[in-house]
Amino acid sequence: MQALTSLFPPNDVTLLAFIVLLPLVGAFINGVFGKRLGREAVTLMGLSVIGVAFLMSLGCFLMLHEQQTGEQAARLVWKGWDWFTLDTGFSRVVLTVGFSLDALNGTMALVVTGVGFLIHLYSWKYMEEDPGYYRFFAYLNLFIFSMLVLIFGDSLPVLFVGWEGVGLCSYLLIGFWFDGEQNASAGMKAFITNRIGDFGLLVAMGLLLLSTGSLDWSGIEANRQHLLDGMQIFPNLGWLGLPNGIMVSRATLVGLALFLGCAGKSAQLPLYVWLPDAMAGPTPVSALIHAATMVTAGVYLVCRLSFVFVMSPFVMFVVAVIGAATALFAATIAFAQTDIKKVLAYSTVSQLGYMFLGVGVGAFTAGFFHVITHAFFKACLFLGAGSVIHAMHARIHDNDQSQDMRNMGGLRRYLPYTFVTFLAAWAAIVGFPLTSGFFSKDAILLEAFSSHIATEGRVITGGETLWEWPQATGTVLYAIGLLTAVMTAFYMTRLLIGIFYGDFRGWKIVQKWKEPKHEHGDHHHEHEEPGPSMKGPEPHESPWQMWVPLAILAALSLVAGFLNAHLLQIHWFDEWLEPVFKTARTAVEHKEVAEAPFLVFAVTAFAVGVGVAYWVYQVKKGEPARAFAEGSPGFYKLVRDKWRVDEFYEETFIGGVDLLAVMAVWVDKWIVDGIVARLTAFFTSLAGTVLRYTQTGRVQAYAFTMVLGMGGVGWFFFLPHAAYRRTRDDLGGKYTLTAMPGASYQYRWDENADGKWDGGFGNKTQVAFNLDPDQTKKVRLQVRNAFGLTATRDIVVHRPKPDLSGADPEALKLLEPTGAKGAPRNGQAPNAPKGAAPAPARGGQP
Amino acid sequence: MNTTAGTFFVLTPYLIAFVLGALLPRQKNAVERFGLGAVAALAVLFVKGMWPGAQADANPAGEWKNLLDVIVFLPLFGAVAVLFLPRQSPALLRKFTYAVLGVDFLVSLGLLSAPMTSGWHFQHVVEWIPSLGIRYHVAVDGLSFWLILLTTLTTPIAVHVSFGSVQTRVKDLCFAYLMLHGAMLGAFVSLDLFLFFVFWELLLVPMIILIGVWGGVEKIKAAYKFFLYTMTGSMLMLAAILYLVYTHDKLAGYPSFDYLALSRIVLPERAAWLCFLGFLAAFAIKVPMFPVHTWLPDAHVQAPTGGSIVLAAILLKLGTYGFVRFCMGMQGGPTWSAAATLGGVAVFGGILYGALVAWKQDDVKRLVAYSSVAHMGFVMLGLFAGNAAGVQGSMLQMLNHGVSTGALFLLVGVIYDRRHTRLARELGGLAKVMPVYAAVFVLVTMSSIGLPGTNGFVGEFMVVMGTFTSQVLGPKHSVSQGVGAAFGVVLAAVYMLSMVQKMFFGPLTNDKNRGLNDLNRRETIALAPLVVLVFVLGFFPNIFLSRMSAATDTLIDRFTESRKAYAGLGPDSDPILQPRRGGPFEQGYPEGPPQTAPTPAGGAEALNTHAGKVGGAP
Repeated sequence: MQALTSLFPPNDVTLLAFIVLLPLVGAFINGVFGKRLGREAVTLMGLSVIGVAFLMSLGCFLMLHEQQTGEQAARLVWKGWDWFTLDTGFSRVVLTVGFSLDALNGTMALVVTGVGFLIHLYSWKYMEEDPGYYRFFAYLNLFIFSMLVLIFGDSLPVLFVGWEGVGLCSYLLIGFWFDGEQNASAGMKAFITNRIGDFGLLVAMGLLLLSTGSLDWSGIEANRQHLLDGMQIFPNLGWLGLPNGIMVSRATLVGLALFLGCAGKSAQLPLYVWLPDAMAGPTPVSALIHAATMVTAGVYLVCRLSFVFVMSPFVMFVVAVIGAATALFAATIAFAQTDIKKVLAYSTVSQLGYMFLGVGVGAFTAGFFHVITHAFFKACLFLGAGSVIHAMHARIHDNDQSQDMRNMGGLRRYLPYTFVTFLAAWAAIVGFPLTSGFFSKDAILLEAFSSHIATEGRVITGGETLWEWPQATGTVLYAIGLLTAVMTAFYMTRLLIGIFYGDFRGWKIVQKWKEPKHEHGDHHHEHEEPGPSMKGPEPHESPWQMWVPLAILAALSLVAGFLNAHLLQIHWFDEWLEPVFKTARTAVEHKEVAEAPFLVFAVTAFAVGVGVAYWVYQVKKGEPARAFAEGSPGFYKLVRDKWRVDEFYEETFIGGVDLLAVMAVWVDKWIVDGIVARLTAFFTSLAGTVLRYTQTGRVQAYAFTMVLGMGGVGWFFFLPHAAYRRTRDDLGGKYTLTAMPGASYQYRWDENADGKWDGGFGNKTQVAFNLDPDQTKKVRLQVRNAFGLTATRDIVVHRPKPDLSGADPEALKLLEPTGAKGAPRNGQAPNAPKGAAPAPARGGQP
Repeated sequence: MNTTAGTFFVLTPYLIAFVLGALLPRQKNAVERFGLGAVAALAVLFVKGMWPGAQADANPAGEWKNLLDVIVFLPLFGAVAVLFLPRQSPALLRKFTYAVLGVDFLVSLGLLSAPMTSGWHFQHVVEWIPSLGIRYHVAVDGLSFWLILLTTLTTPIAVHVSFGSVQTRVKDLCFAYLMLHGAMLGAFVSLDLFLFFVFWELLLVPMIILIGVWGGVEKIKAAYKFFLYTMTGSMLMLAAILYLVYTHDKLAGYPSFDYLALSRIVLPERAAWLCFLGFLAAFAIKVPMFPVHTWLPDAHVQAPTGGSIVLAAILLKLGTYGFVRFCMGMQGGPTWSAAATLGGVAVFGGILYGALVAWKQDDVKRLVAYSSVAHMGFVMLGLFAGNAAGVQGSMLQMLNHGVSTGALFLLVGVIYDRRHTRLARELGGLAKVMPVYAAVFVLVTMSSIGLPGTNGFVGEFMVVMGTFTSQVLGPKHSVSQGVGAAFGVVLAAVYMLSMVQKMFFGPLTNDKNRGLNDLNRRETIALAPLVVLVFVLGFFPNIFLSRMSAATDTLIDRFTESRKAYAGLGPDSDPILQPRRGGPFEQGYPEGPPQTAPTPAGGAEALNTHAGKVGGAP
């Protein structure tokens, strides 16, 4: 440890860069040369980079642990190169490609690389037969790289690189088997839904830059008081009878925008729809990306920017409520799914809701602890499901059928390792006492009841106080959480029983069955429906590469809870993360409550959920559930169709944008092009058609037109024209009038407009005078030409009052020095020779 | 520069003329060749003798003043030389074009030798028509620097691609590309508005030839449309230029088309707005901005692949470059006042509307064309934001768009060469038969939708951040337009990914798509530099930004000062001439005829001298 610390001083931990770089190297080599390298080399490359990255992360973690003493937060920092500079005029932000490690992301890095390594190991055999083996490992390595950038990033833009990078990998891996239309569109759906979240993140970055003038963690934290400034979010619509703008704090806007990003990435209401579809990807991907790591990035971001989130109680309220609502909502859908991966997917959405419920009430440690434990047990569940599907593939090759639990049952006899590990993970998720899930869920529920975000003494600049949480929030959130716990226990038990208990329903097991050779065509599976009529071999247990990861994850699911077992007075995890959340925790208030009743409730919830499910599915063989489905078919179908949210989005949002796009195309073709191109062309050709008639080709007609024109010009010169030019200087009050020249013109003036000419006709072409503000002066000018004809002109000059009410203050400031500077320029005008107006060549202008 | 090298450079034009004159004609004997060479050399001497003497240049030490001349005129002379090459040997024509463009690229790398500090570099001023104040004045600064390199890099790629797909009229093709190349470069380096206008119009000719000769079914209509749109804008700009020159003549006593001279003029409100609108018309059409964008999809769909690449990668940048240089640099007042409105147009008419229309296109090339409208909306928005973050983001986004959209058009051309269709519904499942092509396409798509780590992100991000913090747009519009622009990234993902989905994924249904060849050598070579640039620009944008930051700072200073002077001028005042500011950015300023301005120290003196003179005249 000493050696590591001396090699990497805390302000320049190059090791961080290596941890990130290794998976990228793996991705590059596997992606570009993988096809030529062969499977063994690809496996070696893919596994070793992640394994070494895990060891390095462990090293960093230990270094960090050594340096963190008591409440003093330790940080390991690596600064790469200057990425780019945002010079906004009032702040200059140099964005550095740099990483930092503290207790929060140090822990997360262990999970990502550790669980990541196990899943890589698992994929070795799981993907063995796939022709895109090298591509798979390249994507998986790229994912670990992006995820590490996401959690190590020292500023929002660097995080954003990882944030969108994991989105890209998710897109590529969901659509990994891209020749299925469905898989590819699921990938696209995931990417676009995530992009809606990323839009929120972009807006949040813009507002943060505007408010705090920085984008890195420490800079935002240092300047966060500016986030209490108010901002008007509603246009002035008083004339419509609507409110004239709503003032909210910037923290609220930033928090909501950030949370939109988190909701997209972590599949919360209303953006959760992509995650269940994402199960179209290979199962290790579902375990790694769509359960253990990527989807928890939203929770990580809330924890990372906890000091921003707690500045707006409203945002925290939204986070907690959305979390609780998602937890409940997703759990209801999981009730009626039969695809085992779909059940796990909705369970993931539901558990993510738990995490947001936790961080939303200010229980950041509890929420983040659930991230860790969930990573273990959900990865284990998914990999277990993968193992089951792998076994089912022995006879059923259709993806949907091989994942349907109606075709399973009784598998505990054939897949003993898978069964035991699955059972352990099941115990953790349903909250079996003393497992990891029990401790982490219990902590969240307790804090949901007892914590809330304090409002006292904090006001938006401008005087309005912050929004306050309703009184009953804690109770309601707790009730929802508890209800969800019961439901989780129920549907997970249903899943367990459906897969592992009862009789095997997939096919009739025939010892030493061999797949008939001639049946390798593409279409033959359609003839055989899974069921007793089909024959097949005994489902087989997976090779060690697959069950060893399962065993490790299962063990972790059971024991990880003791890192933070409040019941046993173990607070190691709390203390470890204490420095990270120090700032944020000041805004969280606790009620002192007795823990015992909550413990009873939690155990009861577990017992009720499991008990009822056991009764329904094991004792009664699912009879009550069938009766319920037949009793209210409409409701059952609605739940089975996931409350038809996808269809609703399809009709409203997607349909709306689609309509807008169709309209835009129409407008582009007929309005824009119609007016700018077609209409212009029409008028041009119309003018041409009309003008063609004037070109008769008859000389007489041309001559006649010419004579008319010449006559007009002659008449113009025959008449005198009393035209003048005026120069004005409203600020200085100096005005000059200059009569315009003409053929032997003579001028006389009447400067005071008293009706008497000031003199006879002469050559005086200019008068100059000063006016006071708001003074009006009338001047008369008479011109006589060579024919003795005269023309008279009354000229009114008015100096306006300096009315500067409407001018913007910036312009007013500008006016002052210019007025001073402008004076000598205008002062020269009277001294200049007569007729030397600054622009003598300019045409006569009344 | 030492004497030997100096002598060498003095003699070079004669030598080149001699060699060309001697070698180019066919079927002549040695004596005749020598005579023709001598005639050519004498012709150069004659032209040079007519040319008035050069002014002293104020280049920083070590910069060769003729570098830009070589970069611009090498392809132009090359174009002329192509006319003397035999039509029957396309291989020779191709090699010659490659050689000229290759040398031009190498020469343009010489620009990298300058550190691109504030001010003009490689400035070269020669009097051209002194009586009208027209000079040959070329120089680069950080704004035009990377655009020149983008041009010298992209045209060879486009030419390379064209040689693969176009087999007819190769001689005309070579001529058109070389001429186009020179004209575009000329427009980027010109600091004399007359010269700029000449190049600006000159590049229309080869572009029309490219669309109209090697284009698709409706090529003539598209070429017309392109020409008429651009010409309309050009004429309005010409009027604005002439008005500025006329005003300069009035104020300073001598006419000048020089950028530096004209940017000193501050016009009163109405005249300023008219001039601004004249310039804006030309640039907005070129960019193109809503609602004058409809020529672009037509031109792109009809143009051959190489033409599309040049059109998207470089030609559109002339519009944005012109806006930076001439609207922001010369017309600060109206530009500032119009920024919020135009920013709204860029967001709603460009980024959002362009994306929506793009989504519904079935023709892949049309889709990419509309995506250009959206991307250029980002570029314009960053310029309207008017702070360093926004302007630098825009400049970077110009390069990004050149790289990404250029590559996209190239990729669309690849499938068009194989299938002779660009309709997405005819394709599908291509990832199976063309895996490398699909991978590159997805990569470029990601760069186009601004995935962090690729080039697209940095530019868009800087523009959005610049918009959020813009003082030019005002507090209300900056945030709302920033939000609108940020939403553009969602729509970008929607239309680009739908296209990728339709082209590459899903089952391979159309039998015509079976057995298509993956990228060949030629296409790979053409794509490679663009793909590399995607990542270089994405991870190390500072390489590019550091060389343009001094110029953007100066530009923003100039913009702000010009706006202040405009705001200080009353609405009915006469135009004034701002004092010269000095510093490297004012070097190469035209001094006017010596008899009227013996001591051209400042604008005020020139004004008085002139006023006296004209006052005495009848």
